[in-house]
Amino acid sequence: MNTFRRPGRGRTHPEKELRFSFDSKVYTGYEGDTLASALIANGVHLVGRSFKYHRPRGFIGAGSEEANALVAFDRGPGRKTPNVRATTIELFEGLVAHSQNNWPDVKFDVAAMNDMFSVFFPAGFYNKTFMWPKSFWDKVYEPAIRRLAGLGPAPTQPDKDHYASTYGHCEILIAGAGPAGIAAALAASDAGGRVILADEQVELGGSLLSVPQAVIEGMPAWQWLENSLEILRARENVRLMPRTTVIGYYHDNFLGLVERLTDHERSPAAELPRECLHRIRAGRAVLATGAIERPLVFADNDRPGIMLASAAQTYLNRYGVVVGDNVAVFTSHDSAYEAAFDLSDANVRIAAIIDLREGVPEALLEEANNRGIDVTTSAVVTGTSGRHRVRQICVNTMKNGVVEGGAKTIICDAVLVSGGWTPSVHLFSHSKGQLKWCQRVGAYLPDAPNENTLCVGACNGTFGLSNVLEEGAKAGGDGRTYKTSEPLSGTGEIFQSVPTDRDQTRIKAFVDFQNDVTDKDIKLAVREGFRSIEHVKRYTTNGMATDQGKTSNLNALQIASKAINRPIEQVGLTTFRPPYTPTTFGAVLGYRDGDSFEVTRKTSVDMWAEENAAVFEPVGLWRRARYFPRNGEDMQTAVNRESAATRHSLGIFDASTLGKIEIVGPDAAEFLNRMYTNPWTKLAAGRCRYGLLLGEDGYITDDGVIGRLADDRFHVTTTTGGAPRVLAMMEDFLQTEWPSLDVWLTSVTEQWAVIALNGPNARKLIEPFVDGIDLSLKAFPHMAVKEGKICGIETRLFRVSFSGELGFEINVPAHFGRALWETLYKAGEQFDITPYGTETMHVLRAEKGFIIVGQDTDGTVTPDDAGMSWAIGKKKPDFVGKRSLARPDLVASGRKQLVGLFTEDPEIVLQEGAQIVADRDQPIPMHMIGHVTSSYWSSTLGRSIAMALVKDGRTLNGTNVFVPMPEQTHVAKIGGTVSYDPEGARLDVV
Amino acid sequence: MSSEPITDLLSIDQGISIPDVLTRHPEKIDVRLVGERCRYNIRVQREDLDAVRAASALDLPDKIGASSATQDRKILCLGPDEWIIVAHMSEAARLRRTCRDISQEFTLSTVDISHRNVAFSLTGSLVANLINIGCPLDLAVDRFPIGKSTRTVFENAEIMLLRESKTGFYLETWRSFAPYVCSFFEKFATATQYDTNT
Repeated sequence: MNTFRRPGRGRTHPEKELRFSFDSKVYTGYEGDTLASALIANGVHLVGRSFKYHRPRGFIGAGSEEANALVAFDRGPGRKTPNVRATTIELFEGLVAHSQNNWPDVKFDVAAMNDMFSVFFPAGFYNKTFMWPKSFWDKVYEPAIRRLAGLGPAPTQPDKDHYASTYGHCEILIAGAGPAGIAAALAASDAGGRVILADEQVELGGSLLSVPQAVIEGMPAWQWLENSLEILRARENVRLMPRTTVIGYYHDNFLGLVERLTDHERSPAAELPRECLHRIRAGRAVLATGAIERPLVFADNDRPGIMLASAAQTYLNRYGVVVGDNVAVFTSHDSAYEAAFDLSDANVRIAAIIDLREGVPEALLEEANNRGIDVTTSAVVTGTSGRHRVRQICVNTMKNGVVEGGAKTIICDAVLVSGGWTPSVHLFSHSKGQLKWCQRVGAYLPDAPNENTLCVGACNGTFGLSNVLEEGAKAGGDGRTYKTSEPLSGTGEIFQSVPTDRDQTRIKAFVDFQNDVTDKDIKLAVREGFRSIEHVKRYTTNGMATDQGKTSNLNALQIASKAINRPIEQVGLTTFRPPYTPTTFGAVLGYRDGDSFEVTRKTSVDMWAEENAAVFEPVGLWRRARYFPRNGEDMQTAVNRESAATRHSLGIFDASTLGKIEIVGPDAAEFLNRMYTNPWTKLAAGRCRYGLLLGEDGYITDDGVIGRLADDRFHVTTTTGGAPRVLAMMEDFLQTEWPSLDVWLTSVTEQWAVIALNGPNARKLIEPFVDGIDLSLKAFPHMAVKEGKICGIETRLFRVSFSGELGFEINVPAHFGRALWETLYKAGEQFDITPYGTETMHVLRAEKGFIIVGQDTDGTVTPDDAGMSWAIGKKKPDFVGKRSLARPDLVASGRKQLVGLFTEDPEIVLQEGAQIVADRDQPIPMHMIGHVTSSYWSSTLGRSIAMALVKDGRTLNGTNVFVPMPEQTHVAKIGGTVSYDPEGARLDVV
Repeated sequence: MSSEPITDLLSIDQGISIPDVLTRHPEKIDVRLVGERCRYNIRVQREDLDAVRAASALDLPDKIGASSATQDRKILCLGPDEWIIVAHMSEAARLRRTCRDISQEFTLSTVDISHRNVAFSLTGSLVANLINIGCPLDLAVDRFPIGKSTRTVFENAEIMLLRESKTGFYLETWRSFAPYVCSFFEKFATATQYDTNT
């Protein structure tokens, strides 16, 4: 039995005792406990050190609003989560957790000297102090600060868990299963339609779980709760989602929910996801997110044992745990009395109730009197002491709001505070709903919604059990009334900051516990000229910790408002952003890890390449074989071998990734005339032409060979990466500019596997397999396309060459790709057929001076810049980009032109991207005249080759330029782009 | 050129195999790879629709999102002028002929996309949940009724979806996206096996 348990109270299961360890010490708790309630039951309040000053910290709350009690939750190697709120960790047998941010241990922390020297660490201190010398920031200051400040260390091992994600739909999504949410769910599900009721806690019930003495419809609150949940469980249209936090509220009633699935289990099956992200589209969202009690800001209000009154009440009524033996209460709100009375009734001594207010309702005073509790009104706590836990408090009285001297000391081991309630408007604010200041509640409340949203209960500023239930029922669609009785729901006053008689510059009254922001930090920010609360927030970091200011925002706002001397409404409110509570990256990722992280498109030949030791490279979403090393070859050796084999005998290459668009209709040729620079009308069926595609700006955007299969049918190829973009561009023009054209576009990229055969033996290899196509030089010349059969399979056979050798591109339906490849590969053994990858393909094409769009062009290269004016149909009235080509800047001299570049030392392979200068002796910064776009070692030519974009490059033919590289500056001569077989004789090798 | 061309029939490889876990509990989840199919993308102007229907004997549905089906053939209307026909191989020759014939008679487009797509047949009590892990559509049977078809997304992949029964869907995606889509199915099915709540 734990010392601080009260048998017979709470909803935990004493018959199921659980052992757990905190900071390597073993404790026991009960099933149904949180780590926080179990530790408090064992009398442990010191659980961590604060962020900046390393002050001892305990529990401030009992739920997800907890700002202090952040622990490392250790579920084994690769499963250690830092900064988890101890108040949200469900206890299980064998649970392991550690305190954070302390060394050597939580009781003796060396860095606590930060607290003693804190006068040197005001807000903005780091920004002001560590700016000089600037170079020290990265290497010295920042790492040191990061070591000293901060919370738990980030995990160093990959996350071993896996996660799930899904989409869902409902007519009504209710966030929060307190009384308002449950009443809404009962009403909404009665009316039909799908209802989701989500709550971040393990048990549904919200505030009802902490007030068993309330009565609803003649039943004790817990009985009513059980009955209501029973009804909801029985309804098929209701989905109850405990352990599920609504983390964000996005456009069009799209909400993100994170469901925790296994963290509460001792050894869940490894296959089970840890969390699931539910992406829900709701017809209507009912927000019943409740309110969070507000701490009071007074000197040393952060000692372990000082906590929200509502938290103490929850620990008692829900977990059967008392937070101390001798408890003081400091409040400006009636609700703290309720906690005091409950504790008193559980045989806890209430040392005193110190109430900031002058007037306290008689009924409360009478109740207190009945229990023998001493209430001091117009009084203030001006200080606390106790090293690892509060031991005593100083209390002064006030007259007309001014603190009088003569502090009285009260011994206690816990202090319950209440500064009123802050409605949780986070989700409403995510959805861009407008907030308005409510003086009655002393907080911002939902005003005009932006989505189909209803706010009910405490988050809407509605208090009192029957009011809350009825508001919930109404949001769910019925007008029922509820008869309830409950302890007084009470009123209170909001104090902009708690008065004190002490020197305010020498005390620390914490506002944001997690980021160690004090009342004087906020006042300092105002003194230094910050007027907007957004600026005050960023300067002080108030509300910027993982709790996002759930307990601190309103206090900070009030302090700032008073310091600026402007009404709160004029100081503004910081924006709430998702997620509502810290969310794992895993949950955001969902199923999308490993194979599912991103699409890796593979061709039908890809597996063969993998089996044959290909080295791959990503090209767009595709992965392509880059080269096929043999016997441990490096890339250059493999590429030399692949190139030589292709030039001398036969190379085989997987070109399946080329984008393909089938363009069909009587206006197909006219459509191509308008899209591409080249003329298409006279291209005969069975012939191909290289097509160049410009953007409207006149710059090259894509290219590819286009074959005419019939008068009204073209087979267009695009670059691998450009396929979706080109199709979208074509559809865009077709649908918006030329809807009158009778032509249709269909992507056939994946319909066809493309096997490219290049080399003098290419024809000899395929001849025996081809049926229905005369392959003779005359009948099937370079740039021809024919439909026929290969190995009995229909093919679109292209005679094209991107290598300069005799070449064929065999298109077959994709599912036959691998089988055909293997057939040809086997038959090609007689020619020493050699598979080659994209690297060799690049070398071969560069030897021929063929450009690669996106490598030799960069979105600012015109056809003329690329030396491709020949590709422009001069007689065509128009094509995309034509008008731009006449722009003065595109026809002026001085443009960069594509040229060949030959290093003086033929062994030197220039770096792609290297800059080019005309005079190597000019002063730095030098004037760049261009850059290298493609550069390779050409084993065929026995030297390096390169292409470059150089200012007025073609006029510089034969002159030397200079290319600075890391070791030295190289000399290179400008020449033509075609280095190999300029006559094209190799294309027609028989 | 040799006189007798080699015409060994090449074997089909759709580039994907279905993991065991997707068929282990068929009452919950049963994902099968659909074999080779003949597919055509047909684009017809609305004013010619009745005439094309009459000439082709193809039951091209009127409404976007509608579908028609016979034993051997499904036809999905995916856009204002776009239909996808998926036929058994036994129907392939006839369908090819039909497409060729109507292409000559009408101003329209028929394109063979037989191997562009890979198809999955999905059945089981959890099948809508399975698809919803990556597809944002509301698959409640009153919102996405039997016979409804659409082109939509599954995470980063484009898919074509047809509901064939309360617990049965037909799903196609481009060939190279199929393993990606299937990797999600596998993860969901694996987790589902161990989830006592389902």
